[in-house]
Amino acid sequence: MLIVLAGLVLLQAFSILFQGVFLSRTLTDLWNREAETRILWPVLLFAGFFALRQILVMLKNRVMQPWADQTVFDLRQQLLQKLVAIGPSIVAKQGTGKVVTMALDGMNQVNTYLMLVVIKIFDMLIIPTVLLVYLFFLRWQEALFLLVIFPVIILFMIILGYAARDKANREFASYTQLSNNFVDALRGLPTLKQLGLSEAYADNIYAVSEDHRKRVMGTLTIAILSTFALDFFTTLSIAVVAVFLGLGLVAGHIALFPALTILILAPEYFLPIRNFANDYHATLNGKNALTAVLEVLNTPVPTDRNLLTDPQAAWTPDSQLRLEHVNFGYDTPDETALTDISFTANGYQKIGIIGPSGSGKSTLINLLGGFLTPNNQDAGHISVNGVTVPHLSQQAWQRQFLYIPQAPYLFHATLADNIKFYTPDADDAAVSQAIASAGLTDWVATLPDGLQTEIGEGARGVSGGQAQRIALARAFLDQSRRILLFDEPTAHLDIETEVGLKETIKPVFANHLVFFATHRLHWLNEMDYLLVIEHGRIVEQGTPEALAKQNGAYTALRREMGGDAL
Amino acid sequence: MKGFFDTFKHDSWVMPYLRKYRFLLVLVLLLGFLTTFTGSALMFTSGYLISRAAQHPFNIMLIYATIVLVRAFGIARPSFKYAERLTSHNWVLRIVSDFRKKLYQSVERDAVAIRQRHQTGDILGLLAEDIAHIENLYLRTVFPLIVGWLLYLFVVIALGTFSWPFAALMALLLGVIVILMPLVSVALNGAREFHQKQTQQRLYTSMTDAVLGVGDWMISGREKDFMDRQTGPLTDMRNLQTADNKFQWWRDLVVQLMIGIIAVVMIYWAGSYFQTSHLALNWIAAFVLAIFPATDAFASIPQGVSEWPVYQDSIKRVNQLDQNVVAPVVQTHLAAEDFKSLAIDHVDFKYADGQQAVLSDIDWTINCGDKVALLGPSGTGKSTLLKLMLGDEQPTKGAVKLNGITIDKLQNDRGKLFGVLDQQPYLFNTTIMNNVRLGNLSATDDQVKAAIKAVELDQLVEGLPNGYNTLVEEAGARFSGGERQRFALARILLQDAPIIILDEPTVSLDPITEHELLNTIFALLRDKTIIWVTHHLEGITHVDSVRFLEHGQFEMIGKPHDLYQTSDRFRSLYDLDKGR
Repeated sequence: MLIVLAGLVLLQAFSILFQGVFLSRTLTDLWNREAETRILWPVLLFAGFFALRQILVMLKNRVMQPWADQTVFDLRQQLLQKLVAIGPSIVAKQGTGKVVTMALDGMNQVNTYLMLVVIKIFDMLIIPTVLLVYLFFLRWQEALFLLVIFPVIILFMIILGYAARDKANREFASYTQLSNNFVDALRGLPTLKQLGLSEAYADNIYAVSEDHRKRVMGTLTIAILSTFALDFFTTLSIAVVAVFLGLGLVAGHIALFPALTILILAPEYFLPIRNFANDYHATLNGKNALTAVLEVLNTPVPTDRNLLTDPQAAWTPDSQLRLEHVNFGYDTPDETALTDISFTANGYQKIGIIGPSGSGKSTLINLLGGFLTPNNQDAGHISVNGVTVPHLSQQAWQRQFLYIPQAPYLFHATLADNIKFYTPDADDAAVSQAIASAGLTDWVATLPDGLQTEIGEGARGVSGGQAQRIALARAFLDQSRRILLFDEPTAHLDIETEVGLKETIKPVFANHLVFFATHRLHWLNEMDYLLVIEHGRIVEQGTPEALAKQNGAYTALRREMGGDAL
Repeated sequence: MKGFFDTFKHDSWVMPYLRKYRFLLVLVLLLGFLTTFTGSALMFTSGYLISRAAQHPFNIMLIYATIVLVRAFGIARPSFKYAERLTSHNWVLRIVSDFRKKLYQSVERDAVAIRQRHQTGDILGLLAEDIAHIENLYLRTVFPLIVGWLLYLFVVIALGTFSWPFAALMALLLGVIVILMPLVSVALNGAREFHQKQTQQRLYTSMTDAVLGVGDWMISGREKDFMDRQTGPLTDMRNLQTADNKFQWWRDLVVQLMIGIIAVVMIYWAGSYFQTSHLALNWIAAFVLAIFPATDAFASIPQGVSEWPVYQDSIKRVNQLDQNVVAPVVQTHLAAEDFKSLAIDHVDFKYADGQQAVLSDIDWTINCGDKVALLGPSGTGKSTLLKLMLGDEQPTKGAVKLNGITIDKLQNDRGKLFGVLDQQPYLFNTTIMNNVRLGNLSATDDQVKAAIKAVELDQLVEGLPNGYNTLVEEAGARFSGGERQRFALARILLQDAPIIILDEPTVSLDPITEHELLNTIFALLRDKTIIWVTHHLEGITHVDSVRFLEHGQFEMIGKPHDLYQTSDRFRSLYDLDKGR
């Protein structure tokens, strides 16, 4: 493909050359008062090559666009495959907004980048070369001048660019900060209003913005000097060449035809580098977006995800999950988020995970869900039903559980499809049953299209309590998954909603292994085993009764959470 | 065209600024014109110079003037271009300052409503983007278009001095580029824009589903479904872009071929017109060569104009902000120390678009120094009641009065009368010192530090490398939720208003942090009147009386201790919170 492109650019270089030559021929003939019939052919040839040149522009795009489109299409697909292979941890690490922007706008910018950069680099390499070689044959003096001026221009651009860069970078940082400040002020408006400052702040915004304008103008004066240099040298070179040629003509060293040809081809000689410089800044975003995507694509994917067979992973009343001395750390190797985690989960136990915020409750849940993989260089062991696995990102294991976080995600789809997410084949009767069990029947009755109402992003909004109930309905519907991972499901709900939801949640506990991370005390009454976590370590574990008898971390935590009593 | 004029019918965003900075605008356009003009003039004089020189004039002085002109134009063009870029940026930046202020003021009038309609503040990002769009409207569409048309006029008139028929022909040919093609582009783009928006929305939804719901896709084992769902919108998007590109390529090709035709016509006209004398011959090359730089200015017009639909949306949206301006109420004053009571006098409320009453016959008087808690399930109107108290909403019936003055007349003083601590107090992206000082702009550094000490953050702040001058980062991201609430509390301490409204300030905190924060709040604000909306019964012992709001009315009123004894519902909720 690149060879085809190179061929097209070469062809274009020659059409530019001949377009110039025949235009020059025409003008010389007219100047010589040749008969009109005599100029017909040069004019036709000029027009022909002119048209060919423009058609080649289109052909180049036509060759490159499918390639750029396909590359971007593939990159998007790879990005999505990566996301679904690694799971929520990569989204959390990169930031949701960043990932969505990367997949949408970022990819469009990559497309522009690929299109512009490749074509313009080829143009810049091939077209001036072809023209210069011809000009050398025509008249070496001017050709030499054009050859020498080229690196001089680039050198000047670089020098001026460097001089302005630091200052411009600083200014750009201040610009970003300023426009953020503006959005900042808009977002903080309710707070400003509460403080009685909102009206006066308008003048402040104007003053800051004007102040910034003055500084930016100061910088721009220098920053666009490099573009000025390019412009100045190319235009002046054309003027210089014209004057040289004029003097040469007066002295009789050169004829009109070669002189005109050189004059016509000189701007064409500089055109590719000017185009390249013009689009250079426009392509920077694309380049950065490409780097960001490649970084995500290079994130290692957990391997050995199929060490467990479905029967081995199947969770029954006799099943057992063992973790022994498991460690986990985020990026920094010496700092661990979870240290020396050891416990055993049997059958349909209800295991509460408690601890102060930031102690590692969510990290443990994520580890159990296989969204995070433990450090593999140390001596930790994980086994499911006696089979040792390096991590729990096992596909068979992941088919055994449901994960219910603080804010379950609702897809942009109908309510029915959202509930059937884990069991797409479920029939309507089963869905209605699940809805009833989750306590959603009354709410569904108020919806305009009942179960077929679209919910989620950009459609009907759903409150936090209802979102939790929809997630629970998924669990009621799916009879095959016997493990439930709850990560503070009621943390942001008001007490009355929480009470209602608790009555709904309790029935799903039956016949399930439950991991329940929470900081609401009343849930502990429903648990039959507790893991107390502090600073990433399990500091106490046992049945609630046993822990209550010890005067240890559990009783201390309860006391702190309890507050004053009436 | 109708859409074009409709857009500007009630416009207060684009046209006023064109007028306000008209001198600078004229300068920008003049410089833009001169840039292209000198570019053409350079080729014109060069063409003449070479032709004339080829006739071997006896004396170099005969072409000396032309040589000077060639050099002058060679230097003038880049200089004008440089000046033009600087001036146009200056112009745009001036407008940006005005826009920012204007946008801020529009939103300010409407601040509370906007928060209610758009939870996340995305709309604000969108509006900021609209401003950027309008900037581009000037740089990419308005300036090139006007400069192009000026040049078009100039070319036609200049040629008219030689030959009117030829000038008319050129007017026609160039008109295809500067008038017909832009109109065709914008007409075709209108339909395409609509389709593109739909596809983009679909792509956005499916990408968001993919990214935010990735955990569910992963464990549901539906990876294949996941990829299949993306393929549709992705393919549509690709096809749409291909179609768009193809149109642009064809259009550019047509424009360029027109330029080719113009060149050929020019060759024949100049060839026959300037045959009159030996010297006249030299103008042929001059005229023909001048065409190419000039057409650069014309060729960019169609693309700039075809971007119009994008800008149109932005202009419409920002203009809509000015639509619902409410007549101001005459304000009066109430000194903070004179506050005696806040009376909610038989108030009914329903939203303008709502059927059902949110609040009915609420009657409640809060006296200076009272500490009250307001409870109830979410969606029962607790927040609405707070808005009525602050005067952000007006009751449908009844009135809210401070010392007998209706609250809408005290809006200028609300910063002095009310301190509000809500779920997400906003920390601005500036230093800790500046953030806290927002409570009282005339507070000294020592007073600010004392407030920070009172909320028990002095050790944390002093431990930071930059101490009180540490930047809090975007929306206070540097600090935990509990710490952010404490900074906001310090702000309220400085503000020193008599009435403090606590709007679920602990909703996103864990019980231990919640417990400690509530202790601090009630200890520091013991002299104030406190109205506390809460979602939990944690810390309820801090207040003198509790009210349960349900179905728009008070269902339960009493002291916490009494309610615990007499109300089963209260007791069960309380015990649950205690983990009993």
